[in-house]
Amino acid sequence: MKKIKVSTILNKLLSIMPIVLLIVIWQILATMGFTSKLLPSPYEIYKEAARMFTVKLAGISIWMHMFYSLKRVLIAYGLALITGVPLGLYMGWNRTFDKIVKPIFELLRPIPPIAWIPLAILWLGVGEGPKVFICFVGSFVIFVLNSYTGMRYTDKLLIDATRTYGATTKQQFFNVALPASLPSIFAGVQNALSMSWMCVLAAEMVGAREGVGYIILNGMDLNRPTMIIVGMIIIGVIGTILAITMRWLERGLCPWRRDLV
Amino acid sequence: MNGSANKLERKKEALSVKKNGFKEFISSNSISFFSLIAFFLIWEAVCKFGIVSPYALVPPSEIVGSFIYKLSNVSPDGATLIQHTITSLILALTGFSCAVIVGVPLGLLMGWYKPFDNMVRPLFDLIRPIPPIAWIPLSILWLGIGIQSKAFIIFLAAFVPCVINSYTGIKLTDPVLVRVTKIYGASNWKTFLLIGVPSAMPMTFTGLKLSINSSWTTLVAAELLASSVGLGYLIQMGRRLVRPDLIIVGMLTIGLIGALMSAILTKIESKIAFSRRL
Repeated sequence: MKKIKVSTILNKLLSIMPIVLLIVIWQILATMGFTSKLLPSPYEIYKEAARMFTVKLAGISIWMHMFYSLKRVLIAYGLALITGVPLGLYMGWNRTFDKIVKPIFELLRPIPPIAWIPLAILWLGVGEGPKVFICFVGSFVIFVLNSYTGMRYTDKLLIDATRTYGATTKQQFFNVALPASLPSIFAGVQNALSMSWMCVLAAEMVGAREGVGYIILNGMDLNRPTMIIVGMIIIGVIGTILAITMRWLERGLCPWRRDLV
Repeated sequence: MNGSANKLERKKEALSVKKNGFKEFISSNSISFFSLIAFFLIWEAVCKFGIVSPYALVPPSEIVGSFIYKLSNVSPDGATLIQHTITSLILALTGFSCAVIVGVPLGLLMGWYKPFDNMVRPLFDLIRPIPPIAWIPLSILWLGIGIQSKAFIIFLAAFVPCVINSYTGIKLTDPVLVRVTKIYGASNWKTFLLIGVPSAMPMTFTGLKLSINSSWTTLVAAELLASSVGLGYLIQMGRRLVRPDLIIVGMLTIGLIGALMSAILTKIESKIAFSRRL
């Protein structure tokens, strides 16, 4: 037991070695003067991070910027969840409804959510509206597609069997088809969250006064590579935390997938 | 005698199935057809009756007009639709092919050679969670607003799915096959080339499809922020000039080309890797 623990710790240490090595070499090169202002040294990035977490950026603290971005993502994500999943499920369940909605959906689907930004700004102004809208479009498409696929790939035999035993349509839907399509829906839950996290960045970079996307764009305008890099690290960390939280939730809500993941 | 009659019957049957299939196709898809027409009619009516302002949405008939006009005219944004499309396509394909050339071999080698994996994987995991769009400001500072910075961003966007999918694909190689080749005396390198690479192909192709989608999306973002020609620039100019028709023409072109590129990749995939699909 103890032996296994030691070896896992050793493995963890070995796996961060390349990163440590990279940072050390980078710092050495920087102190020897091989880098320019465009590629700051790790120490300078650390100093900038310390500054950014104490000073107000564009009027509000960095925590508020993060809060703004997260708020937009989560509102849009929630809206997409409660509209997209039922739509996709019903499209998969009812053939006629599928035939009515599918062509319109297929027409709009190949357009990347980011390409909606100009139209969203034209429609909804420059406030919270367009950012939430873009994130909504990004995650909505994924939710619809995944719940649709899950429903369509439900084993027909199961539904026929319950029908033979006299289950009502409602029972067939809620007791058989819905649980059968849950794994596919949950695959979409993860993708949709990282998609809307990407979309909020794009939306904030095109027109915003707050949010993490605005921070890196502001860094570009001020010609401060250190500020951009710290912003990128924050973005990566938040993205990772969101993904880990989702995986954790999925393990709780879909226990039968535990051995699959 | 009996055989030929049988053949004839079978032919007839096949023909009738074909006919019925066509009829069925028409009758079952008429709903879809009507729903699409209804969609455009409602859109047209909403605009014509002034329910939404012409600065927010224009009817489909005007969009067709703008599309035809933009095919040969440079005003008001400085390039024809064809020029915009070609510029964007060249950029996307440059970044994409660089990413494929670097990313697929990297993923395959990482999946096959454990020490190499241990060395590269942490560095790869470090850049993976950062969305490619977040690289835009840094690459503009590094490489300017020309073709290099956009190609770099697209490269990053396409690179990650290429690596991940070829890595997963080669990890899923059937170990029995590997052992068999080893028993017959093949070297590790030969096993990698003859067993590992072909069995990773289906996953790799999925990765290529993901990465062409990702590079096309990222291209639009990069062009929205800094460019003077390209489809992203076209829709950005449409916003500045408050011309919804230009935006929608641009969006539809972007969607169409994205769909076309995935369709082409699917076609190539079915030609190359169809017998090995998992």
